[in-house]
Amino acid sequence: MKITGYRVEQYLMKMDRLVGDANLPSGVEMLPGSILFLETDENVTGIALGYGGGVESLFGVIEGADPREVIALWIRMNDYLHKGGNEGAASAALSAIDIALWDIKAKLEDQPLWRTLGASEGRVKAYASGLDYCLSDEELFAFYRRMAERGIDSGKLKVGLDLAADLRRLGIMRDALSIASPRPGLMIDANEYWSPKQAVRYIRQMEKHFDLTWVEEPARRWDYDGLRLVSQQVRAAVASGENLHNLAQVYPLIANRAVDVINVWTGQSGVTGLRQIAHMAHAHGLEVTMMNAQADYMAQIAAALPNHNMMEVVDPGREHCLKWHSHIEDGYIVLSEAPGFGIEVDTARLRELQANPPTGRGKFPFPRREGAGRYVVPPKPGEVPWR
Amino acid sequence: MKVTGVKVTPFAASSAARGSAAKSGCIVEVTTDAGVSGIGVADSTRTTWIESLVQQLLVGADPRSVTGLWERMLSQSQPCHEIAALDVALWDLKAKSNAEPIWKTLGGLRPRANACASLPDATLSVAQLSDWFEHMARDHGVRAGKLRVGVDLRADLHRLEQVRTALLQSTAEPTLAIEASGSWSAQEATRRIREIEETFDIAWVEGATSSTDYAGLKHVSSAISGAVSVGKGLGALEQFLPYFQHRSADVIELDINALGITAALQLAEAAFGYELPVTLTAAPGNLHVHLAGVMPSFMSAEILEPAPASQVCTSEVRIENGWAVAGDAPGHGLTVNHAAPTAAPLRSRNRK
Repeated sequence: MKITGYRVEQYLMKMDRLVGDANLPSGVEMLPGSILFLETDENVTGIALGYGGGVESLFGVIEGADPREVIALWIRMNDYLHKGGNEGAASAALSAIDIALWDIKAKLEDQPLWRTLGASEGRVKAYASGLDYCLSDEELFAFYRRMAERGIDSGKLKVGLDLAADLRRLGIMRDALSIASPRPGLMIDANEYWSPKQAVRYIRQMEKHFDLTWVEEPARRWDYDGLRLVSQQVRAAVASGENLHNLAQVYPLIANRAVDVINVWTGQSGVTGLRQIAHMAHAHGLEVTMMNAQADYMAQIAAALPNHNMMEVVDPGREHCLKWHSHIEDGYIVLSEAPGFGIEVDTARLRELQANPPTGRGKFPFPRREGAGRYVVPPKPGEVPWR
Repeated sequence: MKVTGVKVTPFAASSAARGSAAKSGCIVEVTTDAGVSGIGVADSTRTTWIESLVQQLLVGADPRSVTGLWERMLSQSQPCHEIAALDVALWDLKAKSNAEPIWKTLGGLRPRANACASLPDATLSVAQLSDWFEHMARDHGVRAGKLRVGVDLRADLHRLEQVRTALLQSTAEPTLAIEASGSWSAQEATRRIREIEETFDIAWVEGATSSTDYAGLKHVSSAISGAVSVGKGLGALEQFLPYFQHRSADVIELDINALGITAALQLAEAAFGYELPVTLTAAPGNLHVHLAGVMPSFMSAEILEPAPASQVCTSEVRIENGWAVAGDAPGHGLTVNHAAPTAAPLRSRNRK
């Protein structure tokens, strides 16, 4: 059983709608996609969905190895990157390879990944996330109502630029979710737009009207002093971590008790890397929450984490060339018995996307907004439909 | 290009002039063999001290080596307002020798600095105070205001309401800051600021307690919603270290009247490393605005006087739509009006 080769397919997607946050409230609809196919001598191919390339720089480290030894291979790649560090583009390549190796491992066992990872059931509680700063009030209500109709009872709103509008929209989100629960879980996400003290002032104002479950990225990702300050001064839990890429980067947040909830995803050095983070958090009594993913594929990993609370579910439409087997029912992501991540690639559709790249407004990644961390620059008239 | 000497022109301000640099001081003109001179304004009248600094340390040196000259001056003296003014004059020369504004020599884009109207004069009547902030909001679009507080809490609340109401002319959500004198104890500051915060959203508080009481500042920061801001009047890098290391401030004020430009730039980088927003304390002719474009965590520039012309100098900085915008003239763009009497105030009290 050997790793023999790989190929990377890059393509461009046009989502069904715009997505936006405090950094780009007008939103974007173009999303670059990439798929890594990791090949073996036994006709089993591992798949990793992601955004990056760079696999060629690390493939030599695992070529010819047994893919079932995935954690040892993670250590080998991490050791190989020792001097320059498991960071940046190197981290993205390591993540993609590790994801594909876990897919192979589960497929060789003919098991869904959640069971390979030891979960007792393929079921993960979901919360709805509208990526919604670019949505009108009506579209906002429609999104969360659609999610509530599937039993989802918690939502996360993009905020940070306009307190009065954010309060109104929190009310809209709560009302839409109220058919799923008399007391919906309400979260907000500022995507690092504030300084710690701006966050305290803004959140305290919101907490006069709403009980917030967590506030996400109220300050910069590495600022453990500032994040802890926010956590101590507001009632809500503070969540962060989605823009950190390995355990070493998350360590200061955990060791300094700077956050209450850690956002995890496979970009944190793959399945192996995110499990390290979740397990260290668990040892410190902290919860983790899984980031949204194409076809909800990361639910496979979330199902096996002891301290996972709920996973982010979005619906802008990013599954153009994918076939998958999970669905959402009674507020949970329900995974199938399909082996590995349970994702198949529609090659014909992929080739079509590559041959005729779609066009549209904006493109990931988008930059930090003016004023971030210093002063609020509210949306200009016409920048968002709600102002 | 070589420094040839210095011309120092003292001035005395009337008691009504606003701003720390405006009470009394001198204009420092560092002259060169290339015919251009660099201008600084010192909050000082120690003219012979300035002349001896220039004679001993700067004459014969290339003024474009501004950071090296700053280090040379600090190797001979404690940081002081005179050295800060000479540093500003050297940066002015460096930019003039490039035939570009300082903001470009520093490597910035044209600064468009968030302006915060500030009224440190606590003796003005409520009507005068209202007039001033209305003028700033109506004629300059200013959306942020800072008020000196601390004598009488009930009066402070009333005056803050006047500031807020005046700024509503330019924005639905004015930014309010307060400046206390640094004489409260930490616990007294906490009690008083919390009481103000029951009515007003305060973005930051300057002078909450003594600037040397690091533990006290941190105590205040952990107990109020607003940011604790420190730095005005501090002239040495090492004075800022405890704020960084103990996270005892949430906002760093950089005062180029005390620091000069070189040290202010270095501190702005340190503040960015700690992810702390910085503000720039008002400087003569609003020349501090030139620095905003190269400070990654720049938040706000204090504006005491929006008018470009005073009796002794004219500035290119304009306050428009709430932003302080620097001009294109070489250097910082301050020109001295040598026809003015030397006893004239630096800033006029022009009001439209």
